[in-house]
Amino acid sequence: MVAIPTESTSARGADVGLAGGGLLAAAVLATVYLISAPLVMLLASAFRGPQDLLPFEPGTHWTLSNLAQIYVDKTLYSAVIPNTIVFTLGSVTLTFTVAFTLAWLVERTDMPWRTTTFTVVLFPLLVPGIILGIAWILLMAPKTGLLNVAIRATLGLNGEGPLNIFSMGGLIFAQGIALVPFVFLLLTAALRSMNPVLEEASNTSGASPAVTFFRVTLPILRPGILAPLILATLVTLEQFEMPLILGLPARISVFATRIYYELNPDTDLPAFGRAAAVALPFLAAGLLLLWFYNRMTRRADRFVTITGKGYRPTRIEIGRCKLPALAFVGLYAAFAVISPALVLVWASLFGYQAPSFAALSAINFAGYLDMINSARFWAAVRNTFVVAGGSAALVTIIGALLSWTILRTRWPGRSVLDFVSFLSIGIPSVIAGLACMLLYLSLPVALYGTVWVLILAYSYRLAVTTRLSRAALMQIHGELEEASHVSGGRWFTTIRRVVLPLLAPSLLASFVLLFIIGFREFTLPVLLQSRENEVLSVIMWKLLVGNQTLQAAAVGTTIVIVIIPVIFLMRRLLLGREAN
Amino acid sequence: MLARPSRIVVATALAAVAWLSTSSLPAAAEDWTASPQIRELYEKAKAEKEVNYWGQVEYDLVWAGDYFNQRFPGIKVNIVADPQGPTKMIAESRSGKLSADVTQQTLGSVLEVQKRGLLAKLDWSLAGVEKRNVLLDSEAGAMHNFVYSVLYAKDKMAAADLPKTWEDLLDPKWKGKLVISDFLFPRLLGFLALEWGPDRAEKWGRDLIDKQNILVTNAPRENFLKTGERLLAVAEGVQAAGQYKREGVETGYVIMNLIPAGQFLIAALKDGEHPNAGKLLALWLASDEGKALRAKLVDEPDIRPGSKAELAAQIQSAGAKVLFEDMSNFNERAEYYKRFSPMTRGM
Repeated sequence: MVAIPTESTSARGADVGLAGGGLLAAAVLATVYLISAPLVMLLASAFRGPQDLLPFEPGTHWTLSNLAQIYVDKTLYSAVIPNTIVFTLGSVTLTFTVAFTLAWLVERTDMPWRTTTFTVVLFPLLVPGIILGIAWILLMAPKTGLLNVAIRATLGLNGEGPLNIFSMGGLIFAQGIALVPFVFLLLTAALRSMNPVLEEASNTSGASPAVTFFRVTLPILRPGILAPLILATLVTLEQFEMPLILGLPARISVFATRIYYELNPDTDLPAFGRAAAVALPFLAAGLLLLWFYNRMTRRADRFVTITGKGYRPTRIEIGRCKLPALAFVGLYAAFAVISPALVLVWASLFGYQAPSFAALSAINFAGYLDMINSARFWAAVRNTFVVAGGSAALVTIIGALLSWTILRTRWPGRSVLDFVSFLSIGIPSVIAGLACMLLYLSLPVALYGTVWVLILAYSYRLAVTTRLSRAALMQIHGELEEASHVSGGRWFTTIRRVVLPLLAPSLLASFVLLFIIGFREFTLPVLLQSRENEVLSVIMWKLLVGNQTLQAAAVGTTIVIVIIPVIFLMRRLLLGREAN
Repeated sequence: MLARPSRIVVATALAAVAWLSTSSLPAAAEDWTASPQIRELYEKAKAEKEVNYWGQVEYDLVWAGDYFNQRFPGIKVNIVADPQGPTKMIAESRSGKLSADVTQQTLGSVLEVQKRGLLAKLDWSLAGVEKRNVLLDSEAGAMHNFVYSVLYAKDKMAAADLPKTWEDLLDPKWKGKLVISDFLFPRLLGFLALEWGPDRAEKWGRDLIDKQNILVTNAPRENFLKTGERLLAVAEGVQAAGQYKREGVETGYVIMNLIPAGQFLIAALKDGEHPNAGKLLALWLASDEGKALRAKLVDEPDIRPGSKAELAAQIQSAGAKVLFEDMSNFNERAEYYKRFSPMTRGM
């Protein structure tokens, strides 16, 4: 690897000034405030009982019964945990392979239609999991799946299959594809911030492209790759939507499905204590993975690629490989984008009518007409943009300031802060929702029931943005900030004119990701809902559980139609024409 | 959209109102609404201007606003559908900010709210509610039942081929043709265990899984029926047949020899924002008029003894035995549910 000067000590002890120090301290306090309530609620719930009382009620006491009830089950060790390991490893491997290839094509090559590809890749993130699940069933159900019918007709086969979405392979495939946009977004930021001068030096020294890739590209991208890998592993571990829809029919139960079942008991109140007990290993796994991450990236200077010696993002010309590259994008789009999109649009016009030409005469626009004529829908559109946009902006800003504090200052306790901010990924939404409900019900300020409570509740998810901006900051040498400081630039000027422009890809990725997650989120807004703060995902969820498929699919289609251009424009405006 | 039902629902609703206006129900309904106590309650409720009506599924709630307003003008019905409603009510109540006035939940959920002393006692007789439908020490009224059944797509199944008993589902001809909700499967077994005993119910459930390869899923079952991936949806509520039909899936239901019936209740909250409007709405929903409208508009009938619902008559003429969920079997069924849950979920 090419040697790069180590980070200057002056950057570490940067003089941030009183105002800068105040801002950083505010970010630290905000982090503690946003995370502590859900975290305390999670830890307290796991150890509070009895189960027939809610964790905050009088009569509860400290107990290990929740843990005992979850962890003495033999099936957990003989089937559930092995299933979870296979499912997680398989899904993350598939996700990472596809996402890295797509991200590399978009950010490091001259493949055509890159901004379009960037936007298209994100599609599965916009579609509710249940719609994705239904799409896969329609395509790969053993008897009637469209792909199976076509394969059997082509090969002259009888009976069922050959594909079966209700299997471990099917589950891994569906989950792996569903998570591609998440990892893709995180990887694009890292790849975009990488200075190709190191690869060029390797090539000039006579190294083959493969050697350059494995010995230069991958090692210097380590923080940018490890962060999404860790996040993807944790997100997959916690995933229970696809396992419930596709895994259960194959008798495949994973660890996280226990959370769902504990929160949907038959005769009692939701078992928050046991759900929290199930969530504790996610926190432990998160801490372990973060320790591993920090260990693997502890010498930050080894990953610096953007220095004061000139930063010139260039793209690799892939020449005749453009066609195969586009074919790869097309294959991904066919499975992950076009199929669910068709299912969504079809369901919004025909409900559960099986696709056929004869069915076209039954087209029904009631879903869209009902939606357009509903004042409640338009209020929800406004609320959704305010909440998703507001929380994404808040978390992105706080996360960036936090990352800077952790990496560039010598403030005591910053590594604890790093761990705490990362723990947010292990807290289930419903526990966070319960914590926010109790907190804002007890505060004298009138936030409960407003959109503001949703913005604050959504904003506990700092793990994504701190990982992302921390990895990006590690790639930026402190000498750039030092140069600005020596030239008379104050801290704010340096941040605004030097750091922020270089962090833009990561901050954009973080914002987009959090914006989409906010748009889709339904557990928190359902729990904290009132007449004033209803959002689109809540409306869609209510329609779905009420078997109003036309209307639910119409809302889902509208969400996609609204967000896709927003993402496209955002990338064009923020990253400029070079993006394409 | 949600604020007003779809055109089909509205058309059905208008037809229902027309039907009701020529039947004997409105007369009885007018009788109770004209009583001095109800007039007085209405005047107080009108001063409160609105009422917050909570339940689990919006579809079950949304129809009520317009019809309640026809009967009692000037009171806006705000609906809140929330699966964590009881938790939220308990938390809000502890903070003195309870926003629910009326709650419509399963027996188990209402019991949790009642245990914490949040429900108001009502004189249900004011709305003509029979004594046997007054529950939990007058703090709740019996509403509709979740009537377990077997659903099928009418274009894929002949009525003669349908199963008549739960045991019929173990016939080899149904192998690979059944689908069931993971949520409803253990609940059905819990009911069957009351009649059969737990061992027989467990064996029946295991046979469905191991021998019949029943597809246990969290995905909507109408999709499987429509495509023909599976032919029978086991343990679905009868009301789902009507909902699927509106979604373009011509769905029929089978009246089995043994019919489990989950119980939904209605109750008014003691410390709600609009206590009088809450009481009035709860009484109206529990009245014959409210129940008849619910059965017609959202296919959720009350089949308890004395019911005038069409489904109750069908069940009676079929000679089927109904297993009602009530306080006498609630705890026993809950224990069975806990026993069977891991089996149905592959744990």
